[in-house]
Amino acid sequence: MEHGGILVNRTIMLPTSVDEAVEALAATPGAVPVAGATDLMEAVNAGRLRPAALIGLGRITELRGWRYEDGGTAVLGAGLTHARMDRPDFAALIPALADAARTAGPPQVRNVGTLGGNIATAAPTGDTLPVLAALEATATLARAGSVREVPISHLLTGLDPLRPGELLTWVRVPLLHAPQVFLKAGGRSGPARATASVALVLDPARRAVRCAVGAAAPVPLRPLEAEAWVAGCIDWDARGEEGAALIDPAALAAFGEYVAGACVPDTGLPGEGPGSAAARLRRTVSVLARRALGRALK
Amino acid sequence: MTSATELPAAAPAEPSEPFGLGSSPLRTDALPKALGIYPYAADLWAEGLLWGAMLRSPHPHARIVSVDTSAALAVPGVHAVVTAADLPPGPDGTPDGAPAGPIVADRPVLAADVVRHHGEPIAAVAADHPDTARLAAASIVVEYELLEPVTDPEAAFNAPPIHPDGNLLRHLPLRTGDPEATGEIVVEGLYQVGRQDPAPIGAEAGLAVPRPDGGVELHLSTTDPHGDRDRTAACLGLEPDRVRLVVTGVPGATSDREDLSFQVSLALLALRTGRPVKMTLTREESFQAHTSRHPALLRYRHHADAEGKLVKVEAQILLDGGAYADVSAEALAAAVAFSAGPYVCPNVFVDAWAVRTNNPPSGRMRGEGALQACFAHESQMDQLAARIGVDPMEIRRRNAMATGDPLPTGQAVTCPAPVDALLDALTESPLPALPVDDPEADWLLPGGPGGAGDPAAVRRGIGYAVGMVHMLGAEGEDEVSTATVRVSGDHATVICAAVDSGQGFATLARQIVQTVLGVSEVYIAPVDSDQSEAGPSARGRHTWVSGGAVERAALMVRHQMLQPIAADFGMSVELLTIADGKISSYDGVLGMPVSEALEGRELWATAQCRPHPTEPLDENGQGDAFVSIAFCAMRAVVDVDIELGAVRVVDVTVAQDVGRALNPRQIEDRIEAAVAQGVGLALLEDLRTEGGLLVNPSLTGYRLPTALDTPDIRIASLVEERDVVATFGAKAVSAVPAVVAPAAVAAAVRAATGLPVGRLPIQPEDAAVA
Ligand SMILES: Cc1cc2nc3c(=O)[nH]c(=O)nc-3n(C[C@H](O)[C@H](O)[C@H](O)COP(=O)(O)OP(=O)(O)OC[C@H]3O[C@@H](n4cnc5c(N)ncnc54)[C@H](O)[C@@H]3O)c2cc1C
Repeated sequence: MEHGGILVNRTIMLPTSVDEAVEALAATPGAVPVAGATDLMEAVNAGRLRPAALIGLGRITELRGWRYEDGGTAVLGAGLTHARMDRPDFAALIPALADAARTAGPPQVRNVGTLGGNIATAAPTGDTLPVLAALEATATLARAGSVREVPISHLLTGLDPLRPGELLTWVRVPLLHAPQVFLKAGGRSGPARATASVALVLDPARRAVRCAVGAAAPVPLRPLEAEAWVAGCIDWDARGEEGAALIDPAALAAFGEYVAGACVPDTGLPGEGPGSAAARLRRTVSVLARRALGRALK
Repeated sequence: MTSATELPAAAPAEPSEPFGLGSSPLRTDALPKALGIYPYAADLWAEGLLWGAMLRSPHPHARIVSVDTSAALAVPGVHAVVTAADLPPGPDGTPDGAPAGPIVADRPVLAADVVRHHGEPIAAVAADHPDTARLAAASIVVEYELLEPVTDPEAAFNAPPIHPDGNLLRHLPLRTGDPEATGEIVVEGLYQVGRQDPAPIGAEAGLAVPRPDGGVELHLSTTDPHGDRDRTAACLGLEPDRVRLVVTGVPGATSDREDLSFQVSLALLALRTGRPVKMTLTREESFQAHTSRHPALLRYRHHADAEGKLVKVEAQILLDGGAYADVSAEALAAAVAFSAGPYVCPNVFVDAWAVRTNNPPSGRMRGEGALQACFAHESQMDQLAARIGVDPMEIRRRNAMATGDPLPTGQAVTCPAPVDALLDALTESPLPALPVDDPEADWLLPGGPGGAGDPAAVRRGIGYAVGMVHMLGAEGEDEVSTATVRVSGDHATVICAAVDSGQGFATLARQIVQTVLGVSEVYIAPVDSDQSEAGPSARGRHTWVSGGAVERAALMVRHQMLQPIAADFGMSVELLTIADGKISSYDGVLGMPVSEALEGRELWATAQCRPHPTEPLDENGQGDAFVSIAFCAMRAVVDVDIELGAVRVVDVTVAQDVGRALNPRQIEDRIEAAVAQGVGLALLEDLRTEGGLLVNPSLTGYRLPTALDTPDIRIASLVEERDVVATFGAKAVSAVPAVVAPAAVAAAVRAATGLPVGRLPIQPEDAAVA
């Protein structure tokens, strides 16, 4: 349309490989990569972002799938859509990520929204983020002539952020072959942003539980002490036995409280008493964490 | 007043398509809307058009020290910038900037000296590109002197006036009976209702085209073409006939549509530039621009005897009108008149206030005033039932209003009040299955699919509510509509300025003409303000007033058509019937197609419908203020995850007093829409503010119910007891289910959790059992 389009006279490039894309990024100052555009166009429409040029990633087919490495790692393309991650083959590999992808917005959005976009946007309510934090995933960042590997948590906390001209290409996730759970409280039955979420994965090889809480803070939070404590409460040897109780219900409940207390600390400040927003969030996180562990050990 | 003539049964024995009243023809706009080809205002286009944008206040309350538009005018591509200085000043004692408003003209089109709410428009820009217009609007420099916002309606009484008209929009006391009366049982409650927004699917949009005669033509999805024309013309200092409003497809309206600032600014920009100007608001602006439902605080005390018969109802009701008066006075009247609900109570004492604050302006939304009161009186009835240990249905039965009983306003309810029949219908309707009967995988748990719901923590609750709402304008408002019907050949045309805002009036008008004239092809002309006035699409009035006008015009045409034939045959017109496109006599001698009777002529008739007048409520809240009232009873079934406080409404079953079901399918649609909106208010929808600033003006932040949040909605009964004075005996159907649904959902959550649930929307912490 002559008048209506908001990106009139702006450059749009459609590279078909990672190399082309990083070159285009390096060569075009102010260029912004775009995948599903479900976050980007919201920013453009609201006038918060006016990209000088766009580099569309949709034609880089290699980034739209995944591969395996060393037998124990899945290497996920940044261009994987939420809809793709929700399919049974992927859900069998990394169940918690599939669960998160399933709740990340309405179907229209999940059909185009991507893993890479979710990470780069780094919204507190990004649903894949607590899962990636619990999985201790790492990201491959590529720029013209160089590649580096960064833990997702460093990327998100700003300890080691995405730099200008860098493209997120791959996400490395360990394959744990054990139950994983992602639970989200959203405030309505239909698609909604998380008010709180909990991702929990079991790592039986290391007899570890790893957990991350989403939407409670700007970045996913790991309750490391609670994880270590609860790992000691689990009867790991009974795993796989029919009808075996792997954990005492009291320990489950205590784990919930422990996680909630760690991630939504009770500051004791006035206004943080019972009924306050913090107290409500703490309660929700506690229930989610208890249920998540309960389901993982079922 | 409409004649309630029994019409000849016109429906053919085996209609090929649904025909006439009582059938359910498909709405003509249903297919285009489903296919995405229905033209809305945002799709309009004109050669050489410019784009409009508005500058809005980022503050809820501030004095405007200066407005400097020079930077905006300097932006290449900008054709005009207008402010309050370009509009006629307000009369003495009112704000400048062409104040206008539906009841009281207190709201400037563009703020001149003071801004009174977040998002209040200050200036408008026309440019050759929408981006340019937006950027230019943002470059206007406004110097503000910040003022303390009044955001707590309870504080508004004693706060410095934020408007020349003061902070009290209306105080309405109601006193009837013995103030000293007491009952054995006393229950009290404090109830709170949040700010629901109409959040229409389509945001505000319109196109203004300057006319060669110095006037302007506005293409808008208005629901009140003549009212808007008159107000727009007055604000522009033009004669009303110089402004023409052409109604485009209305993308959803459960309230008034385009606000006056929008349409006057658009018209002014077109007049200034001499070019067509188009403007579409962003979603955020849309939330800022249109009015929302009155937030309310209601304090109640019910007295009853040992059997639960009401002795006295005392209430204090406070509505937050926001920055401007709009229809607050009318909403308050409904809240007061219906404060005790559809029950008989000899002693009622109410004090109610609508106040001005620096919050977003409140206005019309399905059942304004009645809805807030319904939540409170129904919560009180549940408390009473619990106190005397009877079933919630039983307490309602013991107090139910019947035809002829008085309202607390002293007005006798002369229209049918089949409250008992509604309660019976609910009692007889089966309950939805318990989830335990379904495989666990099929459960839709509170929190939704992929949510965190846990079957072990889910409790089911069942709640009931009954409510009422008046239809048509109240307290002496002149209600009238005009329609023209034309027949030629084998088809008829209806010209009536009643806007089909989605409520289905066009379909109904077609059915009326089919029934009266026996022709199946009925064309409904598009609406513009050059046609005769029909009044706004609000308060459930068009079925009655415009339907009545269409009926009368069609009857006049019928008479013209049959008179000569009757004369030829030496019989009276009454002995002729029209059915299936054919005129027949009672004895079967005559059988003539309508087209033949017309002999190539065109027959026209124009008629008006004006229901009986009403009167204002007096200083004791007494008076015959309403034309008629519709009732509805509802049962809601909810599942609550009592740990997370997540609620899912499983089923809502409705029994409604419809007078006569003119189009059963359409009534069901309207009930479904209203219940969905009521469920939204009960659980999700709240346009929040902090210090007067909107917190969640987006469809991510403002949560509307999705298909998954909308329960199964079942009709237990459409009770058809004709209202003899209403057109065809029918009552308005759209508002009353929205009034009752929130109360029913709250009752069900109460039943599931045992918690008091005193506010809407219900927050997770209100439904989580600690
Ligand atoms: C209606 C709606 C509902 C939503 N609901 C949810 C929800 O419930 N949960 C949730 O988590 N999200 C939700 N979202 C947000 C969004 O869909 C997700 O964050 C999605 O994953 C973003 O992916 P994308 O491909 O669309 O990103 P884009 O919009 O294309 O990009 C987002 C940002 O990431 C950058 N970027 C994208 N790919 C790369 C890359 N490979 N390397 C470097 N930078 C990159 C872009 O430059 C841009 O800044 C919702 C969005 C909408 C519109």
